[in-house]
Amino acid sequence: MVRADMAVLIDVGSAWVKAGVIARANDRWRLVAHAAQPTAWGASELRRALIDQLRVVADRRLMATLDDLFADANRIECHSARRPARAAVVAVSRELSGSTIRRAAEAAGWQVTVVVTFDDGRGLAERLATLQAADVDAWLIGGGFTGSRSPRALDAAALVASARRDGGGPVVWAGSAELADEVAHLFEPGAVSSAPNPRPDARREDPGPLRSRLAQLLRETVADEDETHLASVAFPRAVGALAGAAGMRILGVDLGARTAIRVLAEPDGGVISRVHARGGLAGAIGVPGAAGRIARLAGEAGDEAAVADLIQTLRAHPASLPETAEELAGTQAAARVQLAAIMEESSFGPVDLVIGAGRTIAAPPHPAQAARMLLDGIRPIGVTQLAVDAAALLGPLGSLADDEIGEGIASLDQDLLVPLGTAVVCRGGEIGRAAMRVTVHRSGWPSLAPIDVRVGQLQVVWLPRGAKAELTIELAAGVNLGLPRRSPRIHAVASGGAVGLMLDARGIPIGLPRRGDDRRAMLSAWRDQLHREAVPGSERVA
Amino acid sequence: MSVVHRVRLPVGAAAMVEVGHRVEPAEVLATTRTPRGGMSIPVALPLRRSAADAEQFLAVRPGRTLDAGATLASDERGREVRVVEACLFLAYDRDDGSALVAPLGGSEPIVGHVRGEVVSVGAQAIEIRVAGALVAGIGGSGPAVHGELRVAVDEPGAELRAGAIDVGSTGHIVIGGSRASAETLTRARAMGVAGIVLGGVLDKELRDFEAAQARRRELAGVRGDLGVLLLEGFGKVGFDPGLFGWFRAHEGRLASLFGDLARLYVYDADAPPPRRALSVAGDRVIAHRRPHAGQGGTLVRVLDRLQASSSGVVARAGLVRFEDGHTDIVPLANLEATEPLAGD
Repeated sequence: MVRADMAVLIDVGSAWVKAGVIARANDRWRLVAHAAQPTAWGASELRRALIDQLRVVADRRLMATLDDLFADANRIECHSARRPARAAVVAVSRELSGSTIRRAAEAAGWQVTVVVTFDDGRGLAERLATLQAADVDAWLIGGGFTGSRSPRALDAAALVASARRDGGGPVVWAGSAELADEVAHLFEPGAVSSAPNPRPDARREDPGPLRSRLAQLLRETVADEDETHLASVAFPRAVGALAGAAGMRILGVDLGARTAIRVLAEPDGGVISRVHARGGLAGAIGVPGAAGRIARLAGEAGDEAAVADLIQTLRAHPASLPETAEELAGTQAAARVQLAAIMEESSFGPVDLVIGAGRTIAAPPHPAQAARMLLDGIRPIGVTQLAVDAAALLGPLGSLADDEIGEGIASLDQDLLVPLGTAVVCRGGEIGRAAMRVTVHRSGWPSLAPIDVRVGQLQVVWLPRGAKAELTIELAAGVNLGLPRRSPRIHAVASGGAVGLMLDARGIPIGLPRRGDDRRAMLSAWRDQLHREAVPGSERVA
Repeated sequence: MSVVHRVRLPVGAAAMVEVGHRVEPAEVLATTRTPRGGMSIPVALPLRRSAADAEQFLAVRPGRTLDAGATLASDERGREVRVVEACLFLAYDRDDGSALVAPLGGSEPIVGHVRGEVVSVGAQAIEIRVAGALVAGIGGSGPAVHGELRVAVDEPGAELRAGAIDVGSTGHIVIGGSRASAETLTRARAMGVAGIVLGGVLDKELRDFEAAQARRRELAGVRGDLGVLLLEGFGKVGFDPGLFGWFRAHEGRLASLFGDLARLYVYDADAPPPRRALSVAGDRVIAHRRPHAGQGGTLVRVLDRLQASSSGVVARAGLVRFEDGHTDIVPLANLEATEPLAGD
């Protein structure tokens, strides 16, 4: 990358393409142009938009050669998978083996289009007909606890053998290991592979190895492209490199039009990532009761029927933009619901930094809206920096060779992420009572009086980008920051950003009043609190 | 013009047509025999072996179809187990030495619901070339139906009222306007309307209607469902005026509507007005988001600078003169250009 004076970083999503031009000026790489547009508009329109921006910022002596410079620039690109991979799940029980396998598949990036279980209320003929009509890329079968030889689990495999054509896609046996040979015998040679049982007993779930196996299968069977350029691979690589370089525990979430990616990266370079096939905005339509939940959370998006139309529109026209305040509120509430859904699967404890990516989170009209989606959707307990990948650079950087990712991240430095500030999120306590007292010390600034935050409150303290503050946090009885308390006073450092220091004692999950008027009043108060203290114009999130 | 329609075949289906065959919408393309409930057939006992030993003498693997009288298992001593009726072999029970089979029902027809020429016949699908135009929608509901097109509203933004559905609509595919209530959809089904094409519909009303159709099937076993195709958006969303004009020009033509696939084939028709994602000044456009969803107009000018809409979202935008006379600035991402038809 550093061999050229200009490079174009492109993230091609299923609905929008985002591109940034970076150029070297005074021995520093800077982001000099950025454009985002619907993917369907095509490459030439994107090129035109970027060159138009370059004409404004480039040295006059380069004007005549801008087109050539752009044409010769390195292109660093990542993209979403061309099509979703579809799987059928056949298992003994809906609640045990069925739901575990389904969640593992969706977390590995598969779209589960058919689920058949022996307690689904259907008869044998209907189950067979459903499976025979299934148009899927892979078959996932499970059932039986470890050490047992459940005949029902074998029946599940036989059902698939009866409905699937020879050569009709790979079969993954994710049930009792004792049955693996018998299951393999039901299919043509080479069709079946086994994965460790994700439900070894009724009380324990261990979906990790199955998820890894399914992620590998996804790449083998569907994504016949260079996998390092897939956003689902590139984004986690970039977040992992950033965590290693910064020595931070980082949670990254990329909420796209169709899918969502969640990454947890440790300072030692360990990365755990999940691709949620229906985790994107369009997937909100598949969440049971989503319209009602979004209508309640948004406060100002209209009634349930209006929100139902909105989330269908997000599916039907994923590249379109909300024009009215009501539609924006509904879209952002849908993003919060989807974030909460992808965080539900596992608890991750406190992290140092949360990064939001994807147009809805990373490019809202106001940075406070990005902060609210991350705060409400993820509920990052503890003291956490929040930032957004506003220029969508992480994905393309993650598609570079291993040794170049760190170099790219270091080169872009200040332009890589837009910091929103630091959140202090606690849980516990009784509503209306004191939750925490926070003293903010900033060197060179007069001391502020301690800030008392009550349970259910959200307060924001102005702390601009680049500023640091030392915090002393005193928690009330029954309130915690997600870690064992060793002292009555907790000391932490907060970094500033476009929103500032957010002191959030609204609990996990956030409790909302039942009465509609009370709920809307509370939601408005939280929104106003975030907006009032943020400094519009001091940071640009676009 | 022509388009290719693909009819997926279930496992075990037998094709009844060959390449080059001309088919009508109601014609049977293939037949399939659907398995009924399962039953057990003793295997170990007639072979005089233990349940575990008998498994090795099975002649077929689970998933195989057996004709009536076919051998299910046989051993070297000449003992055999045969099935008395055609069935699907599902599984062998090692504990009691029996085979679970699903007897096959009578042949059921697989109807293509399109008129055209068969261009390929495979184990997985039959492809048919349809002489006509394809109109793709953004959503829909219901099974495949066919009938003649009948325009039931006066203008593209008008709501399809229950009163507009009369006996003359029976067996037709009705072209509605910006919305149809659940009451209208229910009346249409009751009057024997084959399908309805709409610019928009409220998601809640469509779901309510689908739920009523499902209950009707479960409780009364009644068929004759209504196919619904949605072209522009959810909510009260009008037709693209250009497309509405195209439907008017093709009123009376035979069409096949696939609600679940959101497709409509209109036979012997010219192509509908094509669309482009990126609009340029002078284009006839259709808007997709509130407050202009479903409204058509002309893109007067693409604005030089990024514009903020009332939501605060900043994007490239254009000045649109809508057909009701008002003008507004609309993000280009929310517009689709519709090409004028010859003679427009």
